[in-house]
Amino acid sequence: MTAALEPRIIAPADAAGVAETLAACARDGAAVVAYGGSTLQSIGNAPRRCDVALHTRNICGVREYDPRDMTAGIDAGTTLAEIARVLGEHGQWIPFDAPQPARATVGGTLAAGWAGPRRAVYGRPRDLVIGSTIALTDGTLARAGGMVVKNVTGYDMSKLYVGSLGTLGLIVRANFKALPRPPVRRLAIAPIAGDQRDRAIASLGGLAIEPTAALVLDGFTRVARYPGAALRLVMLFEGSDAVVERGTRDVRSALGKAGIAETLLLDGAPADDAFAEVIDAYVEGAGERTLTYRTTGLPSTAWARTRTAQALANEHGLSAESIADLRTGDAILRFSARSVAAFAERIAAFDADVRRAFERSTVLAGGPQLRASIDAWGTEPSTIATMRAIKAHFDPAGVLAPGRYVGAI
Amino acid sequence: MVTSLASRLLEALGPDTVRTSPEDLAAYSYDAYSEGHLPSAAVIPRDVREAALAVRIAMNCGEPVVPRGAGSGLCGGAVPARGGLVVSMVRMNRILELDVRNRRARVQPGLINLDLSRAIATHGIFYAPDPSSQKVSTIGGNVGTNAGGPHCLSYGTTTNHVLGVEYVDGEGVIHHTSIDDPGYDLTGLLVGSEGTLGLVTAVDVRLMALPESVRVGVAAFPDVESASEAVSAIIAAGIVPTALEIMDKLITSAVEAHYHAGFPLDAGAVLLVEIAGPRDDMLAGEAAIKRIAHQHGAISWRAADDAAEREALWASRKGAAGALGRIAPNYYIQDACVPRTKLPQVIHQIERIAHDHDLAVGNVFHAGDGNLHPLLCFDRRDARAARAVVEAGTEILSTCIAMGGTISGEHGIGHEKRDALSLVFNTDDLAAMGRVRDVFDPHRLFNPDKIFPTGAICGEVRAPAAVA
Repeated sequence: MTAALEPRIIAPADAAGVAETLAACARDGAAVVAYGGSTLQSIGNAPRRCDVALHTRNICGVREYDPRDMTAGIDAGTTLAEIARVLGEHGQWIPFDAPQPARATVGGTLAAGWAGPRRAVYGRPRDLVIGSTIALTDGTLARAGGMVVKNVTGYDMSKLYVGSLGTLGLIVRANFKALPRPPVRRLAIAPIAGDQRDRAIASLGGLAIEPTAALVLDGFTRVARYPGAALRLVMLFEGSDAVVERGTRDVRSALGKAGIAETLLLDGAPADDAFAEVIDAYVEGAGERTLTYRTTGLPSTAWARTRTAQALANEHGLSAESIADLRTGDAILRFSARSVAAFAERIAAFDADVRRAFERSTVLAGGPQLRASIDAWGTEPSTIATMRAIKAHFDPAGVLAPGRYVGAI
Repeated sequence: MVTSLASRLLEALGPDTVRTSPEDLAAYSYDAYSEGHLPSAAVIPRDVREAALAVRIAMNCGEPVVPRGAGSGLCGGAVPARGGLVVSMVRMNRILELDVRNRRARVQPGLINLDLSRAIATHGIFYAPDPSSQKVSTIGGNVGTNAGGPHCLSYGTTTNHVLGVEYVDGEGVIHHTSIDDPGYDLTGLLVGSEGTLGLVTAVDVRLMALPESVRVGVAAFPDVESASEAVSAIIAAGIVPTALEIMDKLITSAVEAHYHAGFPLDAGAVLLVEIAGPRDDMLAGEAAIKRIAHQHGAISWRAADDAAEREALWASRKGAAGALGRIAPNYYIQDACVPRTKLPQVIHQIERIAHDHDLAVGNVFHAGDGNLHPLLCFDRRDARAARAVVEAGTEILSTCIAMGGTISGEHGIGHEKRDALSLVFNTDDLAAMGRVRDVFDPHRLFNPDKIFPTGAICGEVRAPAAVA
């Protein structure tokens, strides 16, 4: 699974240094894995080899930011927290919605293709990238897009690089369209008793003010705490004071009619922090004896998928926790066993059941021993041959994170 | 080769689907760009099976395949620049699936943009990208050029609303992509690739809830520069209207003569502003915009009182290019995008360039996005003017690049601007794009002579630039 020797750590001083490093690795046949803040390294398979760990920590900074244009060119190693700070001074933000923003880098977040619950309203990070520079294994730096918000000038290569997990090259800079940060943010947390759950979820269907995010948390009790409740509805409202006020009023009324009397409200920084903790929980706190999958699908099926997951867990003697994202259709499913050994002995059969139950499921996080025998990506997409050809054209030597990606790319 | 392609297509698909007569081929030889080229044959498939078969036959004959929607593209994207087969998608114009609850639809590429939003409006949802050509242009064509429109200021462009596509590759094999699939984002690559990577035969689109309230206002300014300054100030204040459109005096007078929507004729420029969202935000938003407009020299402000008035204003704006026929026999519309704050400078430069070439220029543009559409007026029978238009167009593009902008915001590169692409990208940049082309279309048979500069990928023949 991992290289026998410790990888050599290289942290180039600039973009040209990254390109030179990649070219040298390609020439020497040295496998190279990119590192940002290491917050999402759990995504994808462990690379088959890692001879060089290429860190972006020396390539950071928000460059070319003009608040009046609401565009910013940002170097790969810049942390999401730093971006939030610089743009926040002008009332702007880029809603990355990713775990551990103090450590997570923009390059890593893009490479991992991260997209959180807020994408229902603001789009995925991919939708806010307007240009990029990537270092390639032939030693070149290739740009795409630009610093304008509308652009049909050649192929939209940034889309290809976002989510490619360092298997095609290394994104050294990305240009973004920034957004005005909503002035008011409020988090509503409502406990749901088991017999209320379907009615409560259905009651959210007709809201005139739609929440930015609407999640059903089952378990994950360390975040969005509510005394005594394992099942909670977590709704984030963002916008003007008037809109957030009306949104929360309407949702309380709708939930009240569904038999849910109490809703905890958090405003401003406490709301931001509590929601950030929920996002962190997607990949954190998993531990050795757990496995966390993300399944994607229609929003209307997210809740049902978490019920299916519960049934699967019961069949296999595991316990399940889940987050159903009612707006994006994501369902985060975390399965745990009493011991690593107990899980490990049935991992193959269990994983096969998960893949059968859900059309699209990928492993987000989990114990290394459990992950070693399963593929993170599940069923290969029908376009896998095209993807392999893309890989071969961008990384002919096969040195970029070999084996990490879909279809053993 | 020609008869071989036509006869094989006829044999496989029949005369109702295949067109080979000279008069039919003439109709498929051009789009809204000035130059045309005759294809060897055209097909009008009814479904993906027929489309895939046609692609396979053409590719087996070594003939190019050129997808065609409404033919409203302005850069020659649908022109069969090297002959071959034109695949017209007009018969594949249905909504295949509509999922109101999850706000998504699968549509065929020949569906007209506006027909989609009209068909689903009763469900309280709409398809956001709305190019000014939306009454005729197709979803497939919009996917090809990653089309924008006035409302992409807040909603984003076509790529932000495409969840997946079905496409036919060079071997006639049908594939499906989804942005939810693990692996490389092929959907994102295909959108905006102008038919050079494959033939898109279905599109999964994201739909949005119709806003609860919409307000439209018109501010009159003494000149385009002051209107542009107001646009930057509105956005700097943290307000993102759904549209911020500027028309200069020339355009305004042309559209007023035609549409009578009530735009002020004494102004140097008018700014059309639309805000949309929850009703609670409308009054404050409108008041803030009005205040900023006045701070930047607005001489008047008029709010549209009802839906009919709003629609009249929008009809005028979207019909601006057509209305120019009242002023000049021909016009050449340019498409470029610059950082928003550079608009006043760029507009000033455009006026200078037009003046130097003794041409009348009208400016109508998506100001909020910095997306310019200068229209150069001329008479194509006047050889001097026709040359001047080409030269002025090139100078305008160079000016926009120098200001940190790019050479197409939403119309695409097509045939027209392929050589200008190397003004924006160097050989390393283009080589990366070329790798993608190599994967999808190694024989350069999908819409050849488009996007890539002459000679950038294998020895392509240079074609002369021309005007619309």
